[in-house]
Amino acid sequence: MRKDDEFRAFVKRVIMSCFFKIIMISAVGSNAFFTALWTSYDIRYRLFRLLEFSEIFFVSICTSELALKIYVDPTDYWKDGYNMLDVVIIIITFLPYAFRRFLGKQFTYLHVADGMQSLRILKLIRYSQGMRMMITAMRQTVYTVASVLLLLFLLMYIFGILGFCLFGSQDGGDYDNWGNLAVAFFTLFSLATVDGWTDLQKQLDNRDFALSRAFTIIFILLASFIFLNMFVGVMIRHTEDSIKKFERELMLERKMTLMEEKQVILQREQEEVSRLMHMQKNADCKSFSELVENFKKTLRHTDPMVLDDFGTSLPFIDIYFSTLDYQDMTIHKLQELYYEIVHVLGLMLEDLPQKKPQSLEKVDEK
Amino acid sequence: RFLGSDMATYHQEGQTQLPRADAVRSRLIDTFSLIEHLQGLSQAVPRHTIRELLDPSRQKKLMWEDQQQLVRFSIKPQHTGQISQAQRLLSKLHVRCSQRPPLSLWARWVLECPLFTNFIIFLIFLNTIVLMVEIELLESTNTKLWPLKLTLEVAAWFILFIFILEIILMWLSSFSLFWKSAWNVFDFVVTMLSLLPEVVLLAGVTGQPVWLQFLRICRVLRSLKLFARFRQIRVIILALVRALKSMTFLLMLLLIFFYIFAVAGVYFFAEYTRSPHQDLEYHMFFSDLLNSLVTVFILFTLDHWYALLQDIWKVPEASRIFSSIYVILWLLLGSIIFRNIIVAMMVTNFQNIRKELNEEMAHREVQVKADMFKRQIIQRRKNVSPETLRSTHGKTDDRGAIQQKENLDLSEVSKVESIYEATEEDIITSASKPEMTLSKKKEYQSSSSVSSTSSSDASSSESRFSESVGHLDWETLVHENLPGLMEMDQDDRVWPRDSLLRYFELLEKLQYNLEERKKLQEFAVQALMNLEDK
Repeated sequence: MRKDDEFRAFVKRVIMSCFFKIIMISAVGSNAFFTALWTSYDIRYRLFRLLEFSEIFFVSICTSELALKIYVDPTDYWKDGYNMLDVVIIIITFLPYAFRRFLGKQFTYLHVADGMQSLRILKLIRYSQGMRMMITAMRQTVYTVASVLLLLFLLMYIFGILGFCLFGSQDGGDYDNWGNLAVAFFTLFSLATVDGWTDLQKQLDNRDFALSRAFTIIFILLASFIFLNMFVGVMIRHTEDSIKKFERELMLERKMTLMEEKQVILQREQEEVSRLMHMQKNADCKSFSELVENFKKTLRHTDPMVLDDFGTSLPFIDIYFSTLDYQDMTIHKLQELYYEIVHVLGLMLEDLPQKKPQSLEKVDEK
Repeated sequence: RFLGSDMATYHQEGQTQLPRADAVRSRLIDTFSLIEHLQGLSQAVPRHTIRELLDPSRQKKLMWEDQQQLVRFSIKPQHTGQISQAQRLLSKLHVRCSQRPPLSLWARWVLECPLFTNFIIFLIFLNTIVLMVEIELLESTNTKLWPLKLTLEVAAWFILFIFILEIILMWLSSFSLFWKSAWNVFDFVVTMLSLLPEVVLLAGVTGQPVWLQFLRICRVLRSLKLFARFRQIRVIILALVRALKSMTFLLMLLLIFFYIFAVAGVYFFAEYTRSPHQDLEYHMFFSDLLNSLVTVFILFTLDHWYALLQDIWKVPEASRIFSSIYVILWLLLGSIIFRNIIVAMMVTNFQNIRKELNEEMAHREVQVKADMFKRQIIQRRKNVSPETLRSTHGKTDDRGAIQQKENLDLSEVSKVESIYEATEEDIITSASKPEMTLSKKKEYQSSSSVSSTSSSDASSSESRFSESVGHLDWETLVHENLPGLMEMDQDDRVWPRDSLLRYFELLEKLQYNLEERKKLQEFAVQALMNLEDK
């Protein structure tokens, strides 16, 4: 499949090129603008052709982009999240057409499908580096967010059932707000976001329920004060962690590149020096040592040289000498120890032949 | 002499490559730009000496070559950190050699004079007071107050003129730099804005009361100039701006979501908008894009969302499911999640700013500690070095009492020791050279005398030092204080060129010597082991 490979490489280059990105960004941007314009009936009436044209333009570009990308890389296409987003948006884009065609013009949910077209602008996110970074940072907080929301849901469920049983009976109870579970959920959510809860409470009060105040107040304390603020605390911690990690990675990367550059420069220097040194004769027939001597002669004593270096400063010299002094002292002590050992061994050596005849004498005596 | 050999022969002896020696050599090559010099391109060497510069003929030639040439006159470079524009101007050649300082320097001096800045702050306060009194007296028709009104008006005009003068002074000092600082641009805008209505009124273009009101408003804006004067307010505003800057992408994402939900809202609630139902409170809330945006914002602030939802439910054509999904989703996403993300980012940003400020203070503390450490080291050198010299002499005495077998190795060791000692002394003398030649000798002596006096009357520091030496070993002490020392502003980093070359050469040789000594130690140990076997 050789021809296919070359063509694939070509298509891949086209997709990765700047020009393609510019086309995509302009298509999505203009379409978003026109979608916003489309909402007003007036403008829709007057600029109908233009808007239709932009619509067709956008759909064609999106589909061709999808086709090209799938052609280049069928298996890896589905691993990237942004590509999945592209697929979802294409499906959403085709929904109104599908509805109109198959389910007739009076389908009740048609305007819903029309409304979802506003999601097209999310395609722009993949082209901005900062947004991508932020989305990846936010992705890590998703689990925490989900678990807190789940806890909130559980809490609302408990209180919902409780409220339904207490206040939701058909006669004598507040049927509108606590009649079935869905309405009870809404009421509780309204209490949790503390919006208009006094009106709901007034309705309960009118019906003269004994526990209603305690119920409401306990729920508001739990849901609004504790849970929703716990949310803030958890997000703060996550944001801090992710920012710290990000900065650490950045610093590490920077250091690595710096080290590599330094190494390269040092290597080059070493090579230059060794080359110069091993070169016995250059154009002026001088060896390296003579060059260095000539250089040394050009240095005058009165010329000051200003350095920014720690290695040539007096504190460094002082510290270095102090360290060397310590080293000397240690070595001196070590040497004294050696001498001791040698001395003792020598003594032992002298003692040894004397001991032998002594023991022999003793044996003899015995 | 041993030290007279050059690098080439030493290297050809086949020594093993020591990384430290190589590092020293690299430093030497780098500092003297040896490679370029040997290849014939000498670029980094200074081109003119001081003597040449003071020669009038050469000076003229220099000035013709390059007007903007900066000449460093001070030998002792101080790490001031930031070189201000005034210092830069003062260092320029044509400024130094001219008769009078340029006008910009005078303008800058006036601007930075504390008397002038306090006067301006006083004028700003006076402006606010004048304005307050004027507003009070605006409606009264008491003719006796007419002189007071006149004085107030005159005072306002006077203040305006002084502000304009200040701006002109800032322009004089440096026109291009004026526009680079945001505070100055803000000052300029506010002053021009308050100047505009007055000019218009004077020109008699229109006497409408609208312009008079505008005039009053702009006079109030002049009080905003206060923000630039006080350092604390500046710090707070800068912190706020920085925190906002890091949140740009978040705010952009939020705007994108606003757009999505606004456009979707227009479509979703088209039935609601078009319904003929009579008593809908929020009927026009989703009628077109702008209203929809405002409604989305209202929902974002969690205000009367349930009432809106119940209103929508009144219309039977609007599907309950989708409307409730829309509202609940937007509440969760926008109001609960996004708002808390914004709070979290602001908190972390403020924490970071505070941490940076703390780091500055900690940095300063580290410097102070490093300074103390530096003095202690100088003091220590003087105490220890006579001792070590004595001990090395003692070593040579001891050696005579050892058996013959060790003599060969030990004499090697002694030779190396003496050589090393000689090297050390040489380095000391070469290190002392820079001080002596540049009259830094006095400073070193004074610092040593200072350290000795400080050791005598601040004996607690020395005892603390010896205690610290007792508590920590030398290496940890050095490692702790090394970063602070390295960053400290050094006053004594000036070397004569040939001594510097010699210093590098000697340092390199010292490394090789140390390595040799280590090898000799190993030989001694080996010999000892052999002796033991016997």
